[in-house]
Amino acid sequence: MVRMPDNEPCMEESPRRCHECYPDISQQTFFMRKRFIQSHLSLVDMFIAPSQFLADRYIDWGLPEEKVKVEEYGRTSPTGQAVDGQRKCRDRFGFFGQMTPFKGLHVFLEAIAALHGHDDEHTDPLLRALELAAGTTSGTPTAERLGPKPHGRVHGANLDLQPGNFQNQISDLLEQTKDAVTFVGQYDHLDLAKHMSQVDWVVIPSIWWENSPLVIQEAFHFGRPVICSDIGGMAEKVEHRVNGLHFRADDPSSLASIMKEAMETPGLWEQLREGIRPLYAMEDHVKELTSLYRELQRTEAPGHAG
Amino acid sequence: MRADSRPPAGRTAYSNVGEIRLVDQLDAVSFLGGRLLLAVVSSTKHTLDRKIRGWLLHEDRARRVAGSRILLGSNGSGEAVELLMLHPDARREPLPEQGQVVLETPEGPVGLEPKIEHVTVSLERLGSNHLAKLDADTRTELLDRLASAVGRQSRGSTEVSQGLRSLRDAVRPRLPHGAVEAAADHAVHVDGLWRISGSSFYIKGWIFVRAADLDHLRLLTPEGCAIDILGDEFRYPRQDVADFFNVSPRERLGFIAYVEAPIESALASGWIIEVGQRHGRRIEAEAPAVVDDPLSVRTMLLQDLQAEQLPSASLRVQHIKPALARLEERRAEGVEIDMIDQLGSPPQAPEVTVIVPLYQRMDFLEQQMAQFVHDPEIRSADLVYVLDSPDQAEYLRSVARELFNLYGVPFRLVILSANGGFALANNVGASLARGRMLLLLNSDVLPDTPGWLSRMIEFYDANPMIGALAPKLLYEDQSIQHAGLYFDRPPGGYVWSNEHYFKGLHRDFPAANLARSVPAVTGACLMISTELYRELGGLRGAYLRGDYEDSDLCLRLHEMGRETWYMPDVELYHLEGQSYPTHERSLTSDYNKWLQTHQWAEELAAQADDGAARIR
Repeated sequence: MVRMPDNEPCMEESPRRCHECYPDISQQTFFMRKRFIQSHLSLVDMFIAPSQFLADRYIDWGLPEEKVKVEEYGRTSPTGQAVDGQRKCRDRFGFFGQMTPFKGLHVFLEAIAALHGHDDEHTDPLLRALELAAGTTSGTPTAERLGPKPHGRVHGANLDLQPGNFQNQISDLLEQTKDAVTFVGQYDHLDLAKHMSQVDWVVIPSIWWENSPLVIQEAFHFGRPVICSDIGGMAEKVEHRVNGLHFRADDPSSLASIMKEAMETPGLWEQLREGIRPLYAMEDHVKELTSLYRELQRTEAPGHAG
Repeated sequence: MRADSRPPAGRTAYSNVGEIRLVDQLDAVSFLGGRLLLAVVSSTKHTLDRKIRGWLLHEDRARRVAGSRILLGSNGSGEAVELLMLHPDARREPLPEQGQVVLETPEGPVGLEPKIEHVTVSLERLGSNHLAKLDADTRTELLDRLASAVGRQSRGSTEVSQGLRSLRDAVRPRLPHGAVEAAADHAVHVDGLWRISGSSFYIKGWIFVRAADLDHLRLLTPEGCAIDILGDEFRYPRQDVADFFNVSPRERLGFIAYVEAPIESALASGWIIEVGQRHGRRIEAEAPAVVDDPLSVRTMLLQDLQAEQLPSASLRVQHIKPALARLEERRAEGVEIDMIDQLGSPPQAPEVTVIVPLYQRMDFLEQQMAQFVHDPEIRSADLVYVLDSPDQAEYLRSVARELFNLYGVPFRLVILSANGGFALANNVGASLARGRMLLLLNSDVLPDTPGWLSRMIEFYDANPMIGALAPKLLYEDQSIQHAGLYFDRPPGGYVWSNEHYFKGLHRDFPAANLARSVPAVTGACLMISTELYRELGGLRGAYLRGDYEDSDLCLRLHEMGRETWYMPDVELYHLEGQSYPTHERSLTSDYNKWLQTHQWAEELAAQADDGAARIR
C-alpha cells in the first residue's frame, strides 16, 4: 500500500496504477489477478479486519461491505510490570519494530538528531523553526537553546536484510546520534517489561498505514503513551491527546516538535497515561468471534452448509 | 557385348510368363532404396513403351514388376543405351536382389541377360561407367526424368533422395563455378533456400550478367530435377551487389522465386543454380542448406513482405502468397487429434459448444475456470479446449485435471498433434461440437457476470438473418475493446484494415450501446450456428495467427445473405494480444490485411462506405 519507488502511501488500486509501480507486470495480469482472487473470495461469508482502516481499504478494493466486520485483536497480557520511576522530565523515547523503510526508523532518528542540534547544515530550517517556537535568541549556542534533550532507544532487528542504501542511511543516523540513542537491537519478548521500563514514550513513526500494530497494545499495556504517524491503523488506535500524540507521517520536523512538546509540557505524560484503556482481553475477543460465527451459522442459506 | 539370342534354359517353367525367346543385354543394375531398381540395357531391336511391365524371375517365382523407360541415349561408342526403372507391382514387397528380369513387349517376352546379381553396381558406378558418356543435354534430361519417375513411386524418402543425388553427381554435366570478382562477366549467388513444403521452396539470391540478356536460369534439385525459372522470378535492385560490380544501383540484380519441384525433395543440401547468357557460357553455384523450420520460414516470408525495396504486387501475388498459403497448408496437413480428455461428465443435450483454442499461455485456462465456476450456463455447456501448442500437452493435461478437481466445471481437452493455427484449432473444435450453436471464445476473454451465454443465444435466435453475433468486449480499464468491426483504409491506399468501433471509449459510451448489424465482428467471442459454420467450412487457414479469419468469415456470411450483429447487453473482458510478440504480430497483421484486400476488394469497398457512415 505504498507507491514505488518513493514509498508514498497509495489510497487507490487499479490495474494501471499497479502496473506503474511494477512495470514488469502487465495491467492485464493485475486485472486477472484481482478477478481471480475475487472469484475465490466470493466463497467467503465474512471477513474480519482488526481496524476500520483496513476494512475500508478492502471495501474500496471490492469486498462487499456487508461481509466485512471490524474486530480488534485480543491479547493475553505480556508478562511483568514496567517500572515508571519518578522523573523530572519524560524524555526517553523508544522504537520497537522491524527496521524496514516502512517502519520509519529514519524519521525517528532524524527527529532526535534535530533536537540535539546535530547536522546543523542539513537541518538548518528545522532548527530555525524550533528556535522560533522556543523564543530563544541567536546569541546562545544552538544545542543549549533547545531545552531538554531526548534520549532514544531502538529495539529492532533485520537491518541487514534491508536495501543497501537504507542500511547506510540508518548506520549514518545511528552514528550521528550515538550520544543520544541507545541501540538495543533484537530483543526477547519476555524482556519487554524491562525494555518498557527504560522508556517513557513509544514512538511508531511508520510511513505506511499499518493495520493494527501490536506494539501499540504492548505500549498501552505497560502504561506508555504512544507517539505515532497520523495515518491509517495507527491514527485509529492511538487517540491524539487522549492516550498519545500524532505527528505528520514521514515528517521528522513534525515529530521533533511533538517530542519537544512531550518532554516540555508538565503533566502531559501523566494525563495521556490516564487516557489509556485496558487491553482487549483474549477471552472477550474469542467470545465475540464465537458469536459472529454462530450468527453466520443461523443465517446461512439452506443447502450451503456442507 | 551382346548376348546370344538363345532361349534361356529352364525358364519356360514360369507358366504366366510364356516362352522367352528374345534376349537383350543387361549392362548394369543398381538398387535405389530397396524397392526400386535401375537397369542399363543395351537395346536395339525391341519395342518398349514409356510404361513398361515385366517379371522378375527368382527361385521358381515370377514377380510382377512395372516401371518406366527413362531415356534412350547413345553412349560414346555409338551404342544405344536404355535406362529403365523397375519396381514391384505389389506395393509393399521389396525386390529380391537376384534373378532375371523379363520385359513384356509386343514381340513377346524379352529376357535381360545376365541375372541382376551378376551386374549389380553402386549408383555412382552405374552413373560414371554407363551414363556419363551420353551427351550433356541427354544427361540433364535423363536425370530430370528419372527423378520424376522415382518421385512418383517413393514420396520424399531420404534414402532414395540420397541415391538419386549420388547418381546425379556422377552423371550431370558440370558447369564452371562463376568467380565472384568485380571484373567477372557473370556471377550468381543463392542467399538462401527455404522449404515451403515437401516439393516447394522459396529461394533468394542475386544474378549478375554483364552486357547481355540472361537466357538460362535453372535450379537443379539434389535428386536431379531441373526447374527452369527464367521469367518467373521476381527481380529487384540490390545495391550491395551493384556496388560490388560497379553498375547502376537501379539494376535489378536481386531475385526471389517461389518454386515447385515436380517431386518431393528430402535433402537439405545439394541444390544448384545455373545461369547463362545468350550465346555465352553458363556457370553454376551451390545453394546453402535448406532452411526447414516452418516458423523461421514464415518469419522470413513475412519480413520479405515488409521489405521496403520490394514493390508489392507481383512479389506478393506470385511468390509470397502462394508460399505462405502452401506453408500453412503443410502445417495443417500434418495436424490431427492426438487425444481427447473428458474432464467430468459430458453435459446432457448441451445447446451450445464453447470452443477455446489454447496457445502458449496456459494460465488463461485457470483464469477462465475461476470465472466459469460461478455460471451454471457454462457448466452445462459443451466446453471444448483445443491445445494448439502440443509441446505443452503433458503439463496442460495434468493442470486440467487439477482444475477440474478444484472447480468442477466439466470440459473436454483436445490435444492436437502439432501446431495448426487458430483457424484449424477452432475448426477441429467445431467438428466435435455437440451443441446446435457454436461460441468461438479466446482464452484471454473473461466474463463479467454470469448469464451471458443464454442472452447471446436468445438474441441470435430472435433474428433469422443473423449469421455471426458478438458482444461488447472491454479492456481491463473498462474501456471498449470491441463493439463491432468496420473496414477502412487511408485515402489513396490499397490495403483495407479491420477497425474497431469506439475502441478505447468508456463502456457506457451511448453509441456503443446500440445493438445493430455491422460489417464484421471479432472472433474473440463469436456466436454462429453449428450448421452454418460447417456449411461454410469453418474459418479459413490462409490467414496467419488468429487475425482476420473472423472478418473473412463475416464476409463469406454476407456473401450468402447473412448479417453480422453486435450486441452491447453482454459484456466480457478481452485481455488481448498477450500471446504473441509484438513485432511478429505486426508482420502477420500486415499480411492478413493485404490478403483480405486481395480476396475481397469489391466487397470491402462496398461495405466500407456503409461501415464508415455508422461511426458518426
